[in-house]
Amino acid sequence: MRISSRTPLIATRIFGMSAAARRVDLTTLTVNASVQVPTTVPCVASGKTTVPMLEEVRVDMADMRVESRPVTLVTCVGSCVAICLHDPIHRCGGLAHIMLPSGGKDGQVIPCKYAESAVPALIEGIREVTKQDSLLTAKIAGGADMFSKLKCAMLKIGERNVEAVKQALQARCIRLLGEDVGGTNGRRISFNVVNNEVVVRSLNGVEKKL
Amino acid sequence: MSEKMGHDSSSSAKETIGAYTWTANKCMNLGVLLELGSIGVGHAATALSQILQEPISIDVPKIHTLPSHLVSKFYARHDNPTTALYMQLIGDSECDILLLFDTDEAKRIAALMTMAPSPEELDPEMEASAIEELANILIGAFLSAMSDFVDVKLTMTPPQRVVDSFDAIIDNFLVKQSMVSEIAIIFDTNFKRAGGLADSLSSCILMMFPSKEIQNVLIEKAKDWLQTPPPKPDDNIVCAPNSNLNVAEAKPEEIRK
Repeated sequence: MRISSRTPLIATRIFGMSAAARRVDLTTLTVNASVQVPTTVPCVASGKTTVPMLEEVRVDMADMRVESRPVTLVTCVGSCVAICLHDPIHRCGGLAHIMLPSGGKDGQVIPCKYAESAVPALIEGIREVTKQDSLLTAKIAGGADMFSKLKCAMLKIGERNVEAVKQALQARCIRLLGEDVGGTNGRRISFNVVNNEVVVRSLNGVEKKL
Repeated sequence: MSEKMGHDSSSSAKETIGAYTWTANKCMNLGVLLELGSIGVGHAATALSQILQEPISIDVPKIHTLPSHLVSKFYARHDNPTTALYMQLIGDSECDILLLFDTDEAKRIAALMTMAPSPEELDPEMEASAIEELANILIGAFLSAMSDFVDVKLTMTPPQRVVDSFDAIIDNFLVKQSMVSEIAIIFDTNFKRAGGLADSLSSCILMMFPSKEIQNVLIEKAKDWLQTPPPKPDDNIVCAPNSNLNVAEAKPEEIRK
């Protein structure tokens, strides 16, 4: 698990201040971001609108990542579930890619593998970046059932994953703002940590914004 | 040093850990599996080459044992559109077998098989059917070579075809394996078509996720095979009189030498 709070070159160029200053002066950050990002970041044309291309950071299986930089967290899920937690005040967020609802022996080394331990780990990760408790919101996606013939000892692992994630979120009073779960297709999830926009894309071209 | 090693190997050979009664040396067990797989893969490549009427090259098969969450990083094909054919062994011993094609490559192969003028003109249903048939033949050859060798009956379900991104397909199987252990065991090999694109690493990947049961069965049977003394030449070779073969004329003592 990597938690990055360092300010990249790009952000320093945009805002012209250090990471500490940026975190304090939140209002300036938002104003500057909306005005200056498109001019400094290379732009790509996607469809009709021109959007600034943010750096994409890939999150691997059973991994999580908390970012305060303006980046997009990307992951691919089948029967796994991606949990996107967002802090609207500090404009940062984290993504965890969980594999199983629960399990692991005592002293297991990968908390982000399981739904029940990934949610607390993600909250802790965000708190380390923001240095304070704040109200978080969540969006989840995944839990597909792709191979109908795949016989598992525990049937419908996707459904169980989603159920476990929802329970873990509820236990910590985190509001679920959006979900795209179930079905038979895999999903590619891109989570913009600044504006909490989650785009779920499946290979057959269906794109959904949460 | 050599004495110590000799002592170690003899003591480990007597040990019994779980169902691995043959040897406690796990590397050895995986080596046996790898050898069996290699035999199967050779036959599968021959079958593929015969269907497509072109030379097929294969990579040396490998068994990867790595933590399940690192597998997608290892293959690094994250969002590649992939056509996967999933088959499972029928019987007491479960085992998942996957055949993975790049979606474009699957189209090209299906066009070759159905003699379609170009991959674009191919009917999607025809493509699906052709690729499923290819998987049947390929995995059939793979399994029958293995089952002939160790004398176990290996039969499989009809293939199920799924088109999705590489990571999404793989994660189903990794989840299944990670319910049992933290370490994923994957047998894989690459087939490469001579007429395929020069820059593509492989036309097709064969991937097998051997379960504990199938490992035990195969290893036990392979052990029997290894321990059986080689048949004496005069026991098995029966030649018709006046045959052109020289075997009957050679004396058993000479062959042994």
